[in-house]
Amino acid sequence: MHLAYPPRKSSTAGKYMPRQKMPRISRNKKTAIIIGSILVFFWWLLFSGSKRTSVHPSASKGVAEHFPTGKPSVVMVTVLDTSFPKEYTDSIKQNREEYANMHGYGTLISKVGDYDLHGSPFSWSKVVAMRHAMAKYPDAKWIWYLDQDGFIMDPKTRLHDLISDKALEQAMIKDQPVVPPDSIIKTFTHLKGQEVELVLTQDKDGISVGSFAVRNGEWAKFMLDTWYDPMYRSYNFQKAEIHAMEHILQWHPTLLSKLAVIPQKLINAYQTEKDGDQFQDGDFVLRLTGCTKGDGEKSCDREGGRIAQKWRTAFKNA
Amino acid sequence: MSLSRSPSPIPGGGWATPGLTINSSGRTSPAPAYAASSPVNWEPTSRSRGNANNGYPSFSTQNRGFFHRHMRNISNSLPRFSISAPNNPAYGEKEKLNRGRPSCLGRFYNKIPLVPRIIDAFWKSSRKFKARFFLAVLLFIGWIVFYNSPGIYYWRRNVGGGDKFVIILGANVGGGVMEWKGAREWAIERDSIRNKRKYVSRWGYNLEIIDMATKKKYAHEWRESWEKIDAIRNAFKKYPDAEWFWWLDLTTLVMEPSYSLQDHMFNNLDDVTYRDINYYNPLNITHPFPDDWLDPVSRSPVGDGKPSSVNLVLSQDCSGFNLGSFFIRRSTWSERLLDVWWDPVAYEQKHMEWAHKEQDALEALYTAQPWIRKHTAFVEQRKINSFPPGACSENGEDEKVHYNRDGGDFLMNMAGCEWGRDCWGEMYKYRELSYYLNRNPWERFKEDLVAVVWEKLTGQKVKL
Repeated sequence: MHLAYPPRKSSTAGKYMPRQKMPRISRNKKTAIIIGSILVFFWWLLFSGSKRTSVHPSASKGVAEHFPTGKPSVVMVTVLDTSFPKEYTDSIKQNREEYANMHGYGTLISKVGDYDLHGSPFSWSKVVAMRHAMAKYPDAKWIWYLDQDGFIMDPKTRLHDLISDKALEQAMIKDQPVVPPDSIIKTFTHLKGQEVELVLTQDKDGISVGSFAVRNGEWAKFMLDTWYDPMYRSYNFQKAEIHAMEHILQWHPTLLSKLAVIPQKLINAYQTEKDGDQFQDGDFVLRLTGCTKGDGEKSCDREGGRIAQKWRTAFKNA
Repeated sequence: MSLSRSPSPIPGGGWATPGLTINSSGRTSPAPAYAASSPVNWEPTSRSRGNANNGYPSFSTQNRGFFHRHMRNISNSLPRFSISAPNNPAYGEKEKLNRGRPSCLGRFYNKIPLVPRIIDAFWKSSRKFKARFFLAVLLFIGWIVFYNSPGIYYWRRNVGGGDKFVIILGANVGGGVMEWKGAREWAIERDSIRNKRKYVSRWGYNLEIIDMATKKKYAHEWRESWEKIDAIRNAFKKYPDAEWFWWLDLTTLVMEPSYSLQDHMFNNLDDVTYRDINYYNPLNITHPFPDDWLDPVSRSPVGDGKPSSVNLVLSQDCSGFNLGSFFIRRSTWSERLLDVWWDPVAYEQKHMEWAHKEQDALEALYTAQPWIRKHTAFVEQRKINSFPPGACSENGEDEKVHYNRDGGDFLMNMAGCEWGRDCWGEMYKYRELSYYLNRNPWERFKEDLVAVVWEKLTGQKVKL
């Protein structure tokens, strides 16, 4: 039986060396390559250490890098106290939602009992609600808290115009004592609009947190978490979270350096002159400060009813 | 007198007689003894014979430039291939038993078998091989010189990234203000600083020694902990290129100076650290946060899980966080932490409870605030912070906590030795242990082999 064996190899070596697989490199080329690679190596040595990669202009090293895209541009946060008459809380809700729909803003309206505050006063729930809004709208640009006694009176004014970088640079009050009149800690004089993370107003008592805005991001989480620290909640601050805010702003420069105090009229006008700037026609927001819970003359329900006509027509005309 | 080299062929053919028209020295004027332009004349004429007889060579051997002046020396130092007898360079002997052998025959090493053969083979080898051999020897010498010179320091510092690390050592604790600082205290300080200095100079890191003397500035029970925080903040300012800052208490010792921080920790920070505190949780902190109003990253047990978001690396001992040895990274986050770490409202409420000041404050912050938790990572205690048996001793020896010399533990922290233990005794013991564990091969040979054998043979202990 004949099998097809492979042809036998010659036992005498071939006459010529097999062709080299690698093409021969001339000597000059070889030296050039060696010198070149040495140069590249030294280049790498010299410049590899100085890597300065910036992913995002506002990227801050060492913190998570999620950059909100700005959709929606503003989220409105309100915490409703359900012990108030339902008509009143409904009108607040309506006021917020209509305004939000008009400009494509988000809303987060929660109730006072929604969050477990571990026994702290209910006024602290605004901080938690802000944090909640940030979790719910991770791409929002600004989170705006407005107390449940505040009404938007001029729906044509857009909040994100009021607190745009340029508008803020115009509006912010510089070199102002954080707690008027005599705090030695003053707001910054050279703060750029894009560096502002927290927009607050002051009334006659000091810092007001009835209407304030925070730029969504890592700093906001830092600020809210610090503000909500159990040490401040358990401390007997006379005005709970308001005084805690005043405290942290005055003691911690990383918070103060992002603060812009703007005139109260812009986002936080009061009903009466007693506590701060009084509301005038055309102002953006009216807060019924000092309105009471019950059914009396000064109750929020009555006072809210009195201005309801006004904002409803304004919304209709807008 | 022989020529120092043979004449080279010239383009026109024939020999170029040295000293005629070829002027290798670059000198243009001929030597005075003969006419340089005279034709080559191989026939012994009366003139040339007369020249040859006048006592001068037919060409100058002097002042022919550098090469000519030194050629003799150079060529003398080159190996000889001559098979002639050493005593008489002029004549080669026709028959000799040792012919073909190197001329340096009488040397002692030629009696060792193989050596003359190797030497011979080397000289007979190709020029290419010699060049390569020479290069290899050069590299080897260079390597030795490099590792025994300041070069290695600058290399590790600038190329290896050593300048990205700063060790902050809190020295001179108390400064002798409240308690007398005796010889032992000084000795502890000296040893601790020397230990860090050595480590730093080996790896090219920065060392910042902080004077922790009791100062009026901090002389208030709520303000003491500012000092550590201020020190870290100042170091941030002082070393603008550094990234990681390693706080060390005074009573610490680097046991294994051969470990670099890069290898030990930071090249694989992800594997070395754990973010989920449930892995080891002596404080019983609820982790992750149960509150559903937090964002997903804050509620995640490991933060965002990326090693790039770790800004604080510390270890936990048997009773919670330990800040005797921890790492903090320069970052926006760290600035914020250092800013809110100390707060008068917290201290006013807690200064009676918080015996460990900033350590307790950090625990409180970690427990309460999600933004801190998601950037904090932990390492196993013995990775950066081994304890002596005296510390954390309530439950006896714990392999998670206490130093184990077989484990190659990196750092020793005599935590709490000032509370009734012998700080200096512990420092001394572990210093000597560290020296013992890091003996070089020669010392090991002497002490582990020679001395032991000697003792077995003679029954006497020797110190070599």
